Amino acid sequence: MGDVRETEFSVSVVNLRKQYGELTALNGVTFNVPRGSIFGLLGPNGAGKTTTIKILTGLTKPTAGSAVILGHDIVRDTIQAKKRIGVVPESSNIYEEMTAEQNLIFAAELYGVPRAERMSRTRELLETFGLAERGKDMVAGFSRGMKRRLTIACGIIHRPEVLFLDEPTTGLDVQSALVLRDQVRKLNREGTTVLLTTHYLEEADQLCDIVAMINKGKIVALDSPEKLKADVIGSNIIEVAFSKPVDADELCSSCGLIEVHRLGDKLRLTAADEVDVVAELADYARSRGLRITSISTLKPSLEDAFLRITGLNPEEAVRDKEPARMRRQDG
Amino acid sequence: MTIAEELSKALHLARKDMRVYYFKAPNFTYGLLMPVALYLAFSVSGSLSPATLISGLVSLVILFGTMSIEAVSVVLEKQTGTFERLLAAPVSLLGIVLGKALAGFAIGPLTAIIVLIPVSIFSGTSVQSPLAIFVAICVSSFTFASMGIFVSCFARWTPEAQMYSNFFRFPMAFLSGTFIPVESMPWALQMFSRVLPLTYSIDAVREGLNNSFLTGSYLLDLFVLILFSIAFMLASVRVLEKQMS
Repeated sequence: MGDVRETEFSVSVVNLRKQYGELTALNGVTFNVPRGSIFGLLGPNGAGKTTTIKILTGLTKPTAGSAVILGHDIVRDTIQAKKRIGVVPESSNIYEEMTAEQNLIFAAELYGVPRAERMSRTRELLETFGLAERGKDMVAGFSRGMKRRLTIACGIIHRPEVLFLDEPTTGLDVQSALVLRDQVRKLNREGTTVLLTTHYLEEADQLCDIVAMINKGKIVALDSPEKLKADVIGSNIIEVAFSKPVDADELCSSCGLIEVHRLGDKLRLTAADEVDVVAELADYARSRGLRITSISTLKPSLEDAFLRITGLNPEEAVRDKEPARMRRQDG
Repeated sequence: MTIAEELSKALHLARKDMRVYYFKAPNFTYGLLMPVALYLAFSVSGSLSPATLISGLVSLVILFGTMSIEAVSVVLEKQTGTFERLLAAPVSLLGIVLGKALAGFAIGPLTAIIVLIPVSIFSGTSVQSPLAIFVAICVSSFTFASMGIFVSCFARWTPEAQMYSNFFRFPMAFLSGTFIPVESMPWALQMFSRVLPLTYSIDAVREGLNNSFLTGSYLLDLFVLILFSIAFMLASVRVLEKQMS
């Protein structure tokens, strides 16, 4: 047995490193997840989010450093730690040749749920996740959203104290994503600590008490979403669209802007002074025979904080997150 | 975690595997049809004694059947991501390997008996010790299931696992006394046959067919098969551990 000291933190990660041959996936990651919190791990693809989750759930071993879950060292006391956590991976990993009910019962058996409780918990979860009508149907015929809900139900059937969710809503329709977020909040209210990774920064903003931003295997920011957003204040963000395409570099120099990024048919501008720049933009448009079709000033979002902290520009971030969407825009 | 808990989880895992993977097509083609076809092709000459024919065919069916199940169950789980679910659960790697081996093990006696009963009736062979044969079938099934897991640990796709399995199955089928008695093979091949588990499986089944009492050779065969099982299981755990790190 490892060192079982229950602390105020459900998860404690100290100087975690992971090396895959020459590639450094994690380079000294350190953070604590307070009990009862929803903790978000954010970062672009390849930043180290999934590697961190894999280490914390005992799916791979760290090259160096330590990770303690509810007082159990994940390397030395793996089974005890695994008993108290639930894992929902990025892609649904349920047995398509079994019914929803059979999948849940098998998960309960694997996690040692007493025989007398297996069926009642299965029914309860099928009901909670809106699958009660389909409990006896083979999973092969389920939609992606239904499979995702069932995967999450399988991950919590043993009532874990800490739940790891890797990209829980990726690829889901809006309604299924809303249902899942509600379920995550409900689980958290009932006392489950949640550690999630997500590409959707708005989702992290809505759900998380604390977020850690990870880039190139290192934690680059760790705070509450509101504090991270507050750090971006001081620069003003304006989104503007013109009646015809404009040269971003020329606009930047003509209007004295700090940054200009193209977002689809809009431009996102960062300026030192919001009032001055609106006047400058109006002059710019008039002098070139353009019309401003829309303009809005924005409060800094978590995405702005993310871009500022990671140093990625929006195009890179979008490309990193959704290559297909970017290709469509390019075309 | 107690041994009883581990065993209980391994049994749940085995039951799930039986439900999910037993009726996959490769299990019938590779597991039953191929060994029977192979055997019929070599036995039409009529030069094999009934005891050689039955022991060879029974062991061959177990070998192909159990290894096919493992090639499907281990690799399909890796492909669909469900293997990760098992790895994330509070079960040791040995528990997972044991559960997988038990699923493969369970199909061995079933297919062996499907073949054994009609063949012994048609050939007019009386079975001297049904219990000894049954035990030999069970131990052989476990050995070949463990071997199937070990081989499947290296594969990423089911056809790849079948290819690796055939790399072991076919040489064993020809060099373990299935079609040609080991004693009639050249000395070097006789020595080589001694490191092949199929040799001991065939010998144990033949001992049960011919003798109504337990012989030293029969007990030695079972002992060696058990050693092979342990070695394959521990090696599988080691490979999985290495893959996880």
